[in-house]
Amino acid sequence: MTDQITTHPSKPSERMRAGSLTLTVGPWVVAAIALMIMPYIFTSNSALTIMNQMWITVIFALAYNMLLGQGGMLSFGHAVYMGLGGFFCMHIMNYVEDFGLALPLPLLPLFGGLFGMGFAMIIGSFSTSGAGTRFAMISLGVGELIAACSVIIVAFFGGEEGISGDRTYGLPFFGIEFLKQIEVYYLISFWLMLSALLMYLFSRTPVGRMANAVRDNPERAQFLGYSARWVRFYSFCASGFFCGIAGGLFAISYEILTEENLNAASSGVILLVTFLGGVGFFFGPIIGAIVFTLLQTVLSLQTELWAIYVGSLFLATVMFFPGGLAGLMMMHVPAVRLGKAGGLLVPYVKTLVPAAIGVLGICALIEMVFHVRHGATGDVEMTLFWTTFDSHTVLPWIIAALVAVVGIGIAKATAPGLKEAWDEANTPGGAS
Amino acid sequence: MSVPALELTGLKKSFGKAEIIRGIDLSIGKAERHAIIGPNGAGKSTLFNLITARFPPTAGTVKLHGEDLAGLEPYQINRKGLSRSFQITNIFPAMSVFENVRCALLWAQGYKYSFWNLVNNSRGLTEGADAILDQINLLERRNLPAGTLSYAEQRALEIGITIAGGADVIMLDEPTAGMSHSETDYITDLIMKVTEGKTLIMVEHDMGVVFGLADRISVLVYGEIIATNTPELVRADSKVQEAYLGAALEEEH
Repeated sequence: MTDQITTHPSKPSERMRAGSLTLTVGPWVVAAIALMIMPYIFTSNSALTIMNQMWITVIFALAYNMLLGQGGMLSFGHAVYMGLGGFFCMHIMNYVEDFGLALPLPLLPLFGGLFGMGFAMIIGSFSTSGAGTRFAMISLGVGELIAACSVIIVAFFGGEEGISGDRTYGLPFFGIEFLKQIEVYYLISFWLMLSALLMYLFSRTPVGRMANAVRDNPERAQFLGYSARWVRFYSFCASGFFCGIAGGLFAISYEILTEENLNAASSGVILLVTFLGGVGFFFGPIIGAIVFTLLQTVLSLQTELWAIYVGSLFLATVMFFPGGLAGLMMMHVPAVRLGKAGGLLVPYVKTLVPAAIGVLGICALIEMVFHVRHGATGDVEMTLFWTTFDSHTVLPWIIAALVAVVGIGIAKATAPGLKEAWDEANTPGGAS
Repeated sequence: MSVPALELTGLKKSFGKAEIIRGIDLSIGKAERHAIIGPNGAGKSTLFNLITARFPPTAGTVKLHGEDLAGLEPYQINRKGLSRSFQITNIFPAMSVFENVRCALLWAQGYKYSFWNLVNNSRGLTEGADAILDQINLLERRNLPAGTLSYAEQRALEIGITIAGGADVIMLDEPTAGMSHSETDYITDLIMKVTEGKTLIMVEHDMGVVFGLADRISVLVYGEIIATNTPELVRADSKVQEAYLGAALEEEH
């Protein structure tokens, strides 16, 4: 979706090729290098765990966006495909342990992918005949069904405690036994690069292009010789495959899978992640997964109310930036191209800094309400923004309210200036 | 006479109790340019939708090159070489103009549901799409989202998408509807150019376009064809004049 924008009307065919090549190789190399050196920057074990989770979520979100963004299919039960892939891998892992099967661990996610795809083929055979409410409802129903099965078919799902295994019992892979977190990190990174690349390439294939066409106008696609249903089916199976890979990596990383991995809440999270990042661009879900995982892990250490803030952020995204974070970034491309993006800096600082401070003020009020309502009796001291105070006195409330009102007030007052600067930055010609 | 490109026999369509198409027999030869005219509500668009399987007929058959199309889906009919445009512009508005045309080329060039070919690496697709864009004069709009084009340009793109797959039977539903005079001339020339050697079936209100393009004309009134003939003879037909054409012809003169 991004590469044709860079091409130039004159000499179309050559421009197109050159443009797409330079545009596509660069980010992949940067991403690969970043993945390689991340563990040297963030060396702690908890950082590795967070990154592992992040990259698994990236694969899952990209796979989800093959449906939502590329194919226009809204699924409410997509955790099923990741979860099932994970459960299947866990069984293989235990089988390897019990019977000494000659299967190197790094290949395990492939089987998760195949299992996810197999299940997607079954469900997709009847769910992909439409993309609208019918598809969404079927996905929700299947999601509930499988989640319910997890306590019924105990042999496969392990009931309420789930199933667990040990990744280190398999064959050593070139001497690597995957005892250490860092080894798992590089295994996940490898699968992340491979999956992301394959998913990107999928979007450039005939069936990937037609997925976009069917999303925009299924009827027209039918009159061009393509069955909308089959196009959706192929996208659905491909998505199931990559979800299964994510599930396999989850099994390797956490060595346990439970009902939580395939229930409606997990399906909701991935929708949230993908939408937050932006469904309109290939890299949107990557940003979404990174931001969400950071919020989930880092913010949850700071406050019990993290879900409120993430939920509010999601609401704000849906209401004000339907393009998500990626859309927000790409909005600036015209201004950058006109060479006027610099003119936006000062207006941004003038509006966004007070807005951020105001929002923090509101957060402080929320935290204080929570503390007053839920703190143990007699526990009146709370610490917020490195300040310890008595939440039962009036002064902190006045300060927080003032900060909120003044911050938002300044942001409101400077917003027209930002709008003006924005229009100016997006108008060709004239000095900025 | 050889097998007609399109043959309709006893074609009927009812919506509930309302009979919209009331038994149509029509045979259109290869490489013929055939126009279907008639007053509003005569069932012209419905007839188009029946032929292309957008709706199933209540009775009767549609044969394309002698082959019965009963029970086929629109995409299967398209693969047999029948392509259509729509009265209300029906394109992929969020995709670029180039992508619109390229999508129309994919099946014809044999890519099917391939997920092992990259579209950008296919010279055939890129050059084919650019050739179509050149033909419909939209090469300069190539990389714009199709939804941002002017109305006439979108209509031209619609025709481009319709012909891109190389179908030999082209059906255009009111290609000049809502256009200015100069735009109408542009589209008429375009249709002439792109349907060279192909069978064209066209619904049209603009009599100038109809008499300029068509080899034969069918007049559809209340779900029945009251006359099928060359433009001159249709013009002279008293039944046609009575039912419909009189008023329109007077305007022309």
